[in-house]
Amino acid sequence: MRFQTVERDSLFTRLDFRPKLLMIAVISTVAFVWESPIALAALALVLVIACLLAGVKAAYIKTVVRVMIPFYILLLITHGFWNTDQVKALTGKEVLTPLFTFPANWWLIGGGGMSVEGLLYGWAVIFKTLALMLVIPLGIFTTEVDNMIVGLVRAKVPYKLVFIFSSTLRFFPLLFEEIQTIIEAQRLRGLAVEKMGPVKRVRVYSKVAIPLILGAMVKSQQLEVVLQSKAFTGSSERTYLHESVLRRADWAVIALFVLLFVLAAVLYFRLGVGKFAWLIFD
Amino acid sequence: MSQRPTGEEREVRFLSGATIDGAPIAYIVVLAAVVAALSFIPFSAILALGGSFPMSQGVYPLVGWILGPIAGAIASGIGRLIGVFLAPHTAGPVPAASVWGAVIAGFAAGSMTLREKRRRWWIPLSVLFIIEFLLFIGRAIFLNGVGVAVALLNSFVDWSGIVLYVLPTRTLFARWINSKNIGLIAAGLFLGTWMIAGISHLSVTVILYFMFNWPEEVWITLIPVIPMEHLFRCLTGAVIGSGVIAGLRAIGLVKPTEAIY
Amino acid sequence: MGTPIAVFDRLSYMYPRSPEPVLRDISLEIREGEFLGLIGPTGAGKTTLCLTLNGIVPQFYGGRFFGRVTVAGLDTLAHPVSRLARHVGAVFQDPETQLITTSVENEIAFALENLCVPREEILKRIPRVLAAVRLEGTEQKHPHELSGGQKQRLAIAAALAMQPDLLVLDEPTSQLDPIGEQEVFAVVRELNEELGVTILMASHAAEQMAEYADRIALLSHGELITIGTPDEIYSQVELLHEHNLRPPQVATTFYMVKKAGIPVPNVPVRLEQALRALDSLRGECRIAPPQVFPEPLTRSGDPLLSVRNLRYAYPDGTEALRGVSLDIRAGEYVLIIGQNGAGKTTLVKHFLSLLKPTEGLVTVDGADTRELTVSELARRIGYVAQNPDTQIFNATVGDEVAFALVNLGYPREEVEARTAGSLDGLGLLEVRDAHPFSLPKGDRARVVIAAILAMDPEIIIFDEPTTGQDYRGAKYILDISKQLHRMGKTVIVITHHLYLMPEYAERVIVMGKGMILLDGPIREVYHQAELLRSTFLSPPQAVLLAQRLARREGRDFKLLTPREVADCFLPSKNDEIPNGRA
Repeated sequence: MRFQTVERDSLFTRLDFRPKLLMIAVISTVAFVWESPIALAALALVLVIACLLAGVKAAYIKTVVRVMIPFYILLLITHGFWNTDQVKALTGKEVLTPLFTFPANWWLIGGGGMSVEGLLYGWAVIFKTLALMLVIPLGIFTTEVDNMIVGLVRAKVPYKLVFIFSSTLRFFPLLFEEIQTIIEAQRLRGLAVEKMGPVKRVRVYSKVAIPLILGAMVKSQQLEVVLQSKAFTGSSERTYLHESVLRRADWAVIALFVLLFVLAAVLYFRLGVGKFAWLIFD
Repeated sequence: MSQRPTGEEREVRFLSGATIDGAPIAYIVVLAAVVAALSFIPFSAILALGGSFPMSQGVYPLVGWILGPIAGAIASGIGRLIGVFLAPHTAGPVPAASVWGAVIAGFAAGSMTLREKRRRWWIPLSVLFIIEFLLFIGRAIFLNGVGVAVALLNSFVDWSGIVLYVLPTRTLFARWINSKNIGLIAAGLFLGTWMIAGISHLSVTVILYFMFNWPEEVWITLIPVIPMEHLFRCLTGAVIGSGVIAGLRAIGLVKPTEAIY
Repeated sequence: MGTPIAVFDRLSYMYPRSPEPVLRDISLEIREGEFLGLIGPTGAGKTTLCLTLNGIVPQFYGGRFFGRVTVAGLDTLAHPVSRLARHVGAVFQDPETQLITTSVENEIAFALENLCVPREEILKRIPRVLAAVRLEGTEQKHPHELSGGQKQRLAIAAALAMQPDLLVLDEPTSQLDPIGEQEVFAVVRELNEELGVTILMASHAAEQMAEYADRIALLSHGELITIGTPDEIYSQVELLHEHNLRPPQVATTFYMVKKAGIPVPNVPVRLEQALRALDSLRGECRIAPPQVFPEPLTRSGDPLLSVRNLRYAYPDGTEALRGVSLDIRAGEYVLIIGQNGAGKTTLVKHFLSLLKPTEGLVTVDGADTRELTVSELARRIGYVAQNPDTQIFNATVGDEVAFALVNLGYPREEVEARTAGSLDGLGLLEVRDAHPFSLPKGDRARVVIAAILAMDPEIIIFDEPTTGQDYRGAKYILDISKQLHRMGKTVIVITHHLYLMPEYAERVIVMGKGMILLDGPIREVYHQAELLRSTFLSPPQAVLLAQRLARREGRDFKLLTPREVADCFLPSKNDEIPNGRA
């Protein structure tokens, strides 16, 4: 299993993993705190462009968005119609700007309506989740596993943890294949999941995990023997085939993101940049 | 022994084996890989319920019960993290939150220890969960105008999880899981999963809610959905757990020191 | 051969909670530069013996340890495993679990990194060891992209990189296809002969061990029964049988010839020896005219399974099958052979509707499999997949066998009756309430077979039932298949072990690169040596002996087994005929 699925050589693939880790942390924090639809939209847009420049496939971004669309619609509807108390507090308004109102005689929804503020809040949340989701491929899909591992070690993550991370990555595809084999074996023993009610279906379906876990535990004994015969002790005192050196560009990116973070914090607390009302309801 | 060996008996010292908190690293690796693989099996496809959760959510507690709190948290967390990295689109709106949920579930499950040494670990954890709950529900009621009754009904799985965890039911479930009686094991697994998955759900929701700020109407519609989903999670936990524990006992693998099965 | 690299001195060992020693009073020396073969039935203690060399037994497993093992002068109890690992490189059975990193170069570097070998030195060693196992240019590949044989060679390279004094290989070829087996043996031989690496190798592959090993140690029930050159060990056919081991076919053949009263000075254990012996034998005895074998039964009627112009491509476009057409009639016993990736499993999965044809038609009893569900077909076709552990879902053997019956909605009494019958048929009644995972792997395979047979299918498919089994285990399963065949079932077996099959199969289908290369009666197919070789399959040694005989005599000898070949040799008229058999 490989993380690096981008084929294009770019600044992102050349960077060390540590500046990228910092980038993920800074962008995630900022996206989490910001509530301004404008700021978040800009951030999401920058990330989409960065992803595309880094070679993340457009199809991938489309899938991410497609999967989330029902959720996004739900966000817009619920916030548009019902998010009143919160946006009133955020904007300091007594009365919200109505976008439209249903005639009062309509059954159930009569008199209800969508507010501009609520709808904008919905959009802000959408851009926020988009930013949080896109920063991962930007950082991860542009990194070779080897670089990630050594980068984590250099970032003082204990080697045991890094080892668990890397070998999980190695064994995951094996287990994933095994799931398919187990499902096949179940069907060959007459299981027809299509014909069952939900409870029975869950019970039967869950049984897939039993041979998977037991088989994995049996394998773990062999794995233990293999690790020991390869002189593995879990000690962080070891050498590495791959290098992870912070070059000038890496330091520049680290400095940039530290700076951006400080800037974002100052602007947010001093001038309200990134708060919900920024630029629209000031 | 039919015949005494002719060589002199030697003292066997344990010089080998890398472990984390008494759990062999190899166990942690394979269980993390299990979690990662199960992250790809969505339950929504078979339940056709609105929400979707991966099957891995049903096994985080089990991983904690097999490996203990620290190794359990590492295995669930790293497994989920890799699931998130490889397929971010399955990770939900906030990928980091789902990893956090896995870590909490593994840790809290492992902390249900019957051993003397870690008897008090539940106290700081309970404090954390209660704070999370207050933040969550407080924000709903005071900031976003959600009614008290609605908020309590909606968060039923969350506070019931905390209540079960704070009360001695925590160790009772652990004893059940540890017993020889199949019925008790299954009950312990079901209720234990209810409790742990509830706490984990809370730990994720509190983060999500800070972002989404659902208005009351959403809270109302989710009142029946959340416990339904939770029930399926527990059913999964009980079915998988019973099978796995019976199997592990039969194989006779070396038990990690902090295991409670 | 020089000084000993490793010395076992009255070694006995008991696993924790086990009252009986798994190794008993073993005294043995492994000499520098030798290739020592280790043979013995499953459960003999071969793996345990291998693991004592790097201290994993007893340092990881615990238990009681008697006597002394020294490797390169180091007592294995006095030094940590990580220190001993420097001296003992280990390669194991399962290609998957022993590769633990995400690329070929990382795999080789891993142990060196643990040993704190400087980076520059690691970089020097990688190309060297890759060249030694002929995997140059694969540095960046993921283990997933390698074939089984390549994976094992990589494991060998990784062990070699530590520059160990001794390379221990524990059944490194048992999970491989014939081509992978050849690759691994070739590499091990080269390392031994050209680089002087000392080898200890446990294996069931008798023909290869006879060929490559300098000495063979026979282990049984934890005891070292005997040790000697391959000629000394493998010519003792009775001793091997006594310990449930299979001698090379040439040894069996000449042992039988000798028993028939024909003077055989030395029972040969290698093919070229045997071919020479065969030539010289012709002067010593009469050759019986070729036996006439009855024409294979031709079954009439509509085919039970029918495949027409089947093409199958995976979603990514890789073509797994093309132009496959065949008919299988009720009551046939069909063997399917070919390398991994030839399309054998892909083909049988079409019978079960687990895969749907990309093009072409597959029918079961006239019905298109596309119209049938897997569970409908499962009643009629039992499929025993390779790894039993992915086919076990229940907590008792009884529940496991009943599982399918409950799923298929049989009434309770019938579930009971069928379960009991099936358990009885496979000798599992006593373990009915045991957890399947508490049984040894060979028995778990039987549980799965019992569970499939409980459905009483008309057709039974065994997918590599003999992989990872010793001789006795393999025969046990094949004997079941024979029984089923006698009961009128249609049997399909996929295996790499050609030498096991003459007693069982009637018809053989040879597959290669997604196509059927050959389809005919076993006697015809096994004698198409050229075609088999073109797809890297080698016919059993008995077939090669028969062909040599045919060439010498100028007549056709369509023989398959050591017994058939041996029966061709009759004592000269003036010799006594012992036991009245000729």
